[in-house]
Amino acid sequence: MRIWRRKQFEADMDAELRLHIESYVADLVRSGVSVEEAKRRARAEFGSLEASKDECRQAWGLQRLDELRADLRLAFRTIRRSPGFAAITVLSLALGIGANTAIFGVFDAVMLRLLPVREPGRLVFVQTAGTSGRDGPPYPLFELLRDQATTFEAVAAFSGSAMELTADRGRELARGMWVSGNFYEMLGVRPLIGRSLSASDDQTAGPEGAVAVISRAYWQQRFGGDPTVLGRTVYVNGHAVTIVGVIPAEIMSLEPGRPVDIAVPMAFSDPRQRRDRTALWLFVVARLKPAAGIEQARAESEALFRSFMAGVQILPEARKRLFDHIELAPAAKGLNGLRRQFSKPLTALLILAGLVLLAACVNMTSLMLARALARQRDFAVRLAIGAGRGRLIRQNVTEALVLVAISAALGIVLARIGDTALVAFFAEGGHAIVLDLSLNVRVLLFTLSLGVLCGLAAGIAPALRAARLDPAAGLHGGSRSIAGNRVSMKLGRALVVAQVALSMVLLAGAGLFIRSLRQLEKVDLGFDRVGVLSLEVAPEQRLLGSPEWLAAQTGILERVRQIPGVRSAGLTTISPMSGRDRGAFVEVPGFVPQTERDKAIHMAAVSPEYFETLGVPVLLGRDFTAADHGSAPKVAILNETAARFYFDSANPIGGKVRFTNYPRRDLVYEVVGVVGDSLHDNLREPVSRFIYLPVPQSVEPIRRIGLAARCAGDPAGLSEPLRRQIQSVHPGLLVTSVSTMEKQIGQTLLRERLVATLSMAFGAVALVLASIGLYGILAYGVTRRTNEIGIRIALGATRSGVVWMILREGLALTAGSVLLAVPVVLAIGQVAKASLYGVEPHDPLTLASAALLLLVWAAVASVLPGRRASLLDPSTALRRD
Amino acid sequence: MSKQVELLQGTLDMLILKAVSLGGLHGYGVLLRLQQLTGGRLQIQQGSLYPALYRLERKGLITSEWGESENKRRAKFYRLSAAGRKQLKAETALWNDFSAVVAGVLRAVPGAS
Repeated sequence: MRIWRRKQFEADMDAELRLHIESYVADLVRSGVSVEEAKRRARAEFGSLEASKDECRQAWGLQRLDELRADLRLAFRTIRRSPGFAAITVLSLALGIGANTAIFGVFDAVMLRLLPVREPGRLVFVQTAGTSGRDGPPYPLFELLRDQATTFEAVAAFSGSAMELTADRGRELARGMWVSGNFYEMLGVRPLIGRSLSASDDQTAGPEGAVAVISRAYWQQRFGGDPTVLGRTVYVNGHAVTIVGVIPAEIMSLEPGRPVDIAVPMAFSDPRQRRDRTALWLFVVARLKPAAGIEQARAESEALFRSFMAGVQILPEARKRLFDHIELAPAAKGLNGLRRQFSKPLTALLILAGLVLLAACVNMTSLMLARALARQRDFAVRLAIGAGRGRLIRQNVTEALVLVAISAALGIVLARIGDTALVAFFAEGGHAIVLDLSLNVRVLLFTLSLGVLCGLAAGIAPALRAARLDPAAGLHGGSRSIAGNRVSMKLGRALVVAQVALSMVLLAGAGLFIRSLRQLEKVDLGFDRVGVLSLEVAPEQRLLGSPEWLAAQTGILERVRQIPGVRSAGLTTISPMSGRDRGAFVEVPGFVPQTERDKAIHMAAVSPEYFETLGVPVLLGRDFTAADHGSAPKVAILNETAARFYFDSANPIGGKVRFTNYPRRDLVYEVVGVVGDSLHDNLREPVSRFIYLPVPQSVEPIRRIGLAARCAGDPAGLSEPLRRQIQSVHPGLLVTSVSTMEKQIGQTLLRERLVATLSMAFGAVALVLASIGLYGILAYGVTRRTNEIGIRIALGATRSGVVWMILREGLALTAGSVLLAVPVVLAIGQVAKASLYGVEPHDPLTLASAALLLLVWAAVASVLPGRRASLLDPSTALRRD
Repeated sequence: MSKQVELLQGTLDMLILKAVSLGGLHGYGVLLRLQQLTGGRLQIQQGSLYPALYRLERKGLITSEWGESENKRRAKFYRLSAAGRKQLKAETALWNDFSAVVAGVLRAVPGAS
């Protein structure tokens, strides 16, 4: 672009033309003409110097640029002249653009972004699949694929796991990950400092011994970003491990959103698990060779899988369920858990944000239209003195685009603030989701195109209006006699109707989501959530399975029960709403399972007094007691659903339940009690079957245990005393996940809260915009009807009658728009039905409250211009033209 | 001085291309060259010369560079570009065809065909 060299261009052109004239003068003088005469003739023969320059500029293509500059100058001048208009437009548009940018940022991070690894498009997840879904293959199959598959460049494995980490005498539970040594090499991830892991780290006896890498976030927060962390020895699950590198945090694993602190080669994971030919605990990811097609790779993996399965002893049913065949899934975006969880709420939010933007856009259009009307005379003058209609349109659009550009800039700032809040929202609680919401090109392009669309949409209607103007009519009249006025008024009203209807849709949507959330929060859990503190205790690795740990468990209960303020306390292996779960297969004499599923049951080991602590009633039989110790007869308690399922109407007490999914054949428990149903994990789903065992009789070794304590006052205040007391039982105990039951339940409603909170904010913005629009159109109407109102007052209309007249108009407009919006609300409600809970999409109460809210605001917005109208002085009003 | 001829519309560009094809010239030089070539019989509006030069340069038919004029002044010299040479050739051919056809028509006498 030559725009930057504009000054140079002018100077050069000037010099060139001057040289021409001076040379000509010199030549004339040389031929005997007097200097004066020569100068005169040169000028005359050249013609207008300025016209020539102008033609040169035009020939050079500078005219458009000049016009653009003039348009911009004019745009800024008009904006400065009516700062109120500009402020409202910019603010509402900035809110719209900001909301969209913020939500799209999350959408981008969760749904669209590829993993920041080398050639993500060639990565695939290798999964064993069957009727019950897909899962990672067992470790021996992974080894087979890694060593023998020829269609893959490399095959790597990873598996998340909590790890007990000891460093500097401090012990904590870190978010760990087992990785095959080649994992980061295959992904092409470079370490921040130090080195990454390599295939040779799979061997336990490397030159540096056992090694590990940590994430940048963990490095910063646990080691203060100290570079001497390299070479430091820490203990992971009791094994000494040397830290050799720091990995840029965001690409520690292939699970988007899941933070990882430390990655340790798989060689140090549980060897029994690694040898197990049917244990599903891994994710396996492979990089296709450039020449290999995905089908070819699948066929080869399938063949290897068949040869592997030939040597596996497994029930035919289980084979069909989990080990039927191999599937390859694209891995460019990583595991899809987060996407599955958030695709619906985020899509809904994007649509709602889009509606807010639409409302802001409509608002801007009507404001610009009103202003174009006010400037009709101005336009008429310009047309009359020869301005092109095209120029007038262009000037209007330029003005709109300038407003949009300011709004977009402000919108991005707002979006950054919003994103900070959203990141915090996601990172909250025990299952933190870490999102990288830094601005990227895709998000900026999204914002830019939104802005341009808005600018064009809002600028074109008033521009066309201005261009259609008849200069004669425009010049003649006062506001009354302008020809296009009635049409403009109609268009203005249509825009306001659209705005009010949009806010009705948004408010009703927000209402539905808020009601859903309230309903979910009120769901009968089957236990009393108020006043319960919950935490987890993990023993040092070496204590596992030792009598010390068993003694510690009883010790914990005794200590905790003595703390003043604790009314009762109980232990459980699976705390409700903690996200943990454990399943087993059982056999009950007299019960004939129809499907494999019928044998499945959720399982938890609990201590005496646990049910009492949560407020779960014992319906039949008895609770566990201290007498149900490890060597006592094996007993179990069922929840009501399980009792009814397996024993129908028969008395379950005394019935026998045998676990069938363990190698031991003698795991038969006698049912001694039935407790009330309680929800375990998902508030939306019906109660599942549960079997409870006494802690000392647990079928599985207990690696950590949850504690629930019912407190007299605020449970949060007791968290410190509890932690201290538990640690004093045994120095090798680690207390984690301290939270209140209410908070934990709140966290399971993260998505619902996200949608409800944001849709409420969107609804509020739309409401404000609609009021502005309504106020604008009514105020304009009052100005236009000044004479008429003056006559009415002169003829004896009361002040309140005038107010009522305007108010009635506003309310009628609003009511009409609300009615128009109802079918849209119903249609959207149908789509969103799956996300709603305990409230129908056509819930009359919600619709009525949204409508009422709108009407109240409309009334406020109408009373102001109404009051102004009623205060008109008839004598002045009538004299106005 | 012999009788002056009006410049036909659209021919100025062609004449400028021809003028600068014989060697680099500054704007005033172009005017002198054209007057010399036409024996002063062609009326050229001096004011329209520069827009034409700018237009041709913008189209890439001529190139310009700053140099020193005969009387040691800074001056912008124009030179024919490769594209301009092609254009000049094409326009010359077109002009020759055109003038031959027009001349043929104008030579026609009643009843000759």
